[in-house]
Amino acid sequence: MFYRSNIETYSLRLHTGNPARSAAAEESRVHLLIPLFIFISGGATMSVLALTRAALKNPDVSWDHKNNPEPWNKMEPNQQYKLLAVNMDYSKLKKDRPDF
Amino acid sequence: MAEAVSDKIKNYKTAPFDARFPNTNQTRNCFQNYLDFHRCNKALSAKGQEVSPCEWYQKVYKSLCPMSWVSKWDEQIENGSFPGKI
Repeated sequence: MFYRSNIETYSLRLHTGNPARSAAAEESRVHLLIPLFIFISGGATMSVLALTRAALKNPDVSWDHKNNPEPWNKMEPNQQYKLLAVNMDYSKLKKDRPDF
Repeated sequence: MAEAVSDKIKNYKTAPFDARFPNTNQTRNCFQNYLDFHRCNKALSAKGQEVSPCEWYQKVYKSLCPMSWVSKWDEQIENGSFPGKI
């Protein structure tokens, strides 16, 4: 499918780019683009998930100021929000602030 | 509990890691401890208890906050124009 016809092999052929050919012709080459679609959709999914997580779980975010004014104060002393925390052992943390 | 707190205050070196503020930006950590110091004073004196445990918060915010912020907020509290909720 990558060969030109015999007549065209030795003549100079302008690339006219017939758009009707790629969709209606027998040799659709969309399957060659599938890895691209995989990477793009994977990236889009990850970004949407990251934004949703930030909107719902980030302790700096408060959607309801009256009922949830300081959401970061509701965290446990050893609760981890970061997805990857290097050099910080969260299991060893304890509460160290006086109550009032 | 009070003995543990006064021991901690005596052995204080610097502000400990706070899981509520794990990132580089510690602005909110500073402001929260400043607020907590004043809220602690208000709550414990309203209950009639000693306010010495609140010193912990003062030590932490003095470690974290720029001095200009602290003096500005102290002035605002004296004026009655402090924007935070105490």
